[in-house]
Amino acid sequence: MKTVKLIDIASARSGDKNNVCNIGVLANTPADYPTLQKYLTADKVKAHFGDLIKGKVERFEWESIEALNFVCHEALDGGASRSLRMDTLGKNFSSHLLRMELEIED
Amino acid sequence: MSKTVRIAGGQGFYGDSPMAAIAIAQEGGADYIVNDALAELTLSILQKDRMKDPETGYAKDILFQAKTLYPLALSKGIKVVTNSGGLNPIAAAKKVSEILAAQGLKGIKIAAITGDNVLHRLDELQQGGEELANLDSGIPFSENKYQPTHANVYIGAKSVAEALNQGAQIILAGRVADPCLTLGVLIHEFGWEIGEDLSQEALNKLASGISIGHLLECGGQASGGNSYAEWPMDYPISNLGYPIAEVSEDGTAVFNKLDSQGGKMSRDTLREQLVYEIHDPANYMTPDVTVDLTEATLETLEPGKVKLSGVKGKPRPEKLKLTAGLMEGYMSDQFFFFSAPYAYEKVQKFIEGVKEIWSKLPIQIERSEFQILGVNGMHGSAAPTPPKEVLDQMNEIGVRLVVKHSDNRTGKMAFSSIICLGLNGPPGIVGIPGWGKQDRVMLSLWPTLIDRNWIEEKVEVVES
Repeated sequence: MKTVKLIDIASARSGDKNNVCNIGVLANTPADYPTLQKYLTADKVKAHFGDLIKGKVERFEWESIEALNFVCHEALDGGASRSLRMDTLGKNFSSHLLRMELEIED
Repeated sequence: MSKTVRIAGGQGFYGDSPMAAIAIAQEGGADYIVNDALAELTLSILQKDRMKDPETGYAKDILFQAKTLYPLALSKGIKVVTNSGGLNPIAAAKKVSEILAAQGLKGIKIAAITGDNVLHRLDELQQGGEELANLDSGIPFSENKYQPTHANVYIGAKSVAEALNQGAQIILAGRVADPCLTLGVLIHEFGWEIGEDLSQEALNKLASGISIGHLLECGGQASGGNSYAEWPMDYPISNLGYPIAEVSEDGTAVFNKLDSQGGKMSRDTLREQLVYEIHDPANYMTPDVTVDLTEATLETLEPGKVKLSGVKGKPRPEKLKLTAGLMEGYMSDQFFFFSAPYAYEKVQKFIEGVKEIWSKLPIQIERSEFQILGVNGMHGSAAPTPPKEVLDQMNEIGVRLVVKHSDNRTGKMAFSSIICLGLNGPPGIVGIPGWGKQDRVMLSLWPTLIDRNWIEEKVEVVES
C-alpha cells in the first residue's frame, strides 16, 4: 500500500443548491480515473467532512469526463441564505476534499 | 460551411465585471452576449429594492451596461439576452430604453419577459390544489410560519426565442432558468422544436443547448477562473476572457475565448464548469428538457478550442420548479484579531468572556458560532487543528463571532455588550465595528414544484 494525496491526482469544484453541496472531482489524467473510482468512495467523503455534512452523500460516476460527482445533502448549515458559516456557498468543499489522502495498492 | 451561431457568456452573477463582455463586443467576437444575473438569493435582494421603490426590482448592473456594453453591442449587431430584469422586467426595459434614447439610440427593440413572479399568487395556487410541499422536507407550504419575500418559477426558453422572433435586440427577462437564456437563442436561430412529444433527435438538440448554456452561465469560471485544474493559473486573471461557444445546428459547439484577453480555455476548464452545481449527471432537470450528460465529451481540437458533443436529452419534467424566499430572522457578526505571543490562547480566553457576557444579558440568541480564522474559519469541525507548536508560531489569529436571532435589535445589543473586552480582555486585540454587520436579514429558501398550467409567460417589446 502507498499513500496518495488527492490533490496530486485530481482537481475539484464545488457549489450549492440550497442546502445541498455538490463536489465534482476530476481525474488529472484518464489513468487516474480508475484510482478515484476504486478508492474515493461516498463513505470516505462523508467521513472527511464530519459534522459539516448532516445528510447522505451520493456518488455519481461520470466516465466521459473522468469525473466523480459527490452530492452532499444537508451540507450547508441550512443553505447559503441562512448559514452562519463563512463559506456559505460551499465553494471551499472542493478545497477541503482535495486535502484528503488515499491509501492505495502499489 | 453550414451556419454557426456564436454565443458569449458575458456575466456570471449580479455584480460581475462588464469588462469581459465589453471586450467581446468591441472585437465583434460573438453574435449574442448572454448575461446571467440571478443566483438563488438574488430575487430576495431585488424584492427589498422594489419594496422601497416600485420602479426598481431589476439587477442594477443594467444601468451601467446600457451606457457601455449595450451601445457597443448594438453597433456590432450583437444581441444581448439576460435575466437581469429580475422581479421587474418591464421597469428594466423602460429604464434601458430611456438610457439608450438619451444616447441618441432610437428605435432599439427591447423585450421584457414576465410571468415567472408568483409572490402575489401563493394563496391562489394553494386554493387551486397546489400544496407547494417543500422539495427537501415534504412539508406543505401552509405549515410554513415565515413571511415570503419572493416566489418565482423557473421558466424555460420559449419566450426568449419568441422575443428574438419579434426582432428584439435586447432581452430583459425575469426568472428564466440560467441555461435557458442560451437555449432560447438557439431555438430562434435554428428553429429547434420545443415542447412535448419530441423526437430523440430534437431532445438531444435541446439538451445540447442547455449544456452550452450551463458552460456559459458562470462567465469566467469556464475559462480559467476559480480553477484547481489549471492551478497555479499561469495566465493573466485581471482581464480574464469569458467563454464563447460557436454552435452548430446539430447542437455541437466549439468553445474558445478572445486571444487578446487573459484566462485560458481548455478541456480542463470546461470539465470543471460542466460539473458545477450538477447533481445526477444523467438527469439534470430544466424546464424544457431533462439532460443526460453522462456521454458528453469534451475534445481539444487545438489549443484554446474545445468541442462539446454527445449530450443526450430526455422529455422535460412534468412540473416546474418554484422557489420562495422566506423572512426567517436576523443574523449578526463581528471579527476580532489577536497577535502573537499566545494568539491562540488569547482567542480562547476571549470567547470564554464573550459567552459569559451574553449569558447574563436579557437577549435571546437562537444560535451562535465562534470561528477561529486561520484555524477553522472555513471548515469548522472538519478542519484539523494544527499542533501547538504551529499555533505558537502564527503571527496572528482572528475570531468571527456570529449569531442568529429573531428580532432586529439583538445583534446590536450583543455586540455592544462585548466592546468592553477591548480594554478588559486579553492583550493584543484589534477589532473595528465596520468589520462585521449587525441585524442583517436572514432568509431561507422554500423549493417546490407546481403544474406548468399556472404559468402564462408574456413577451412585451418596447422601442427606445
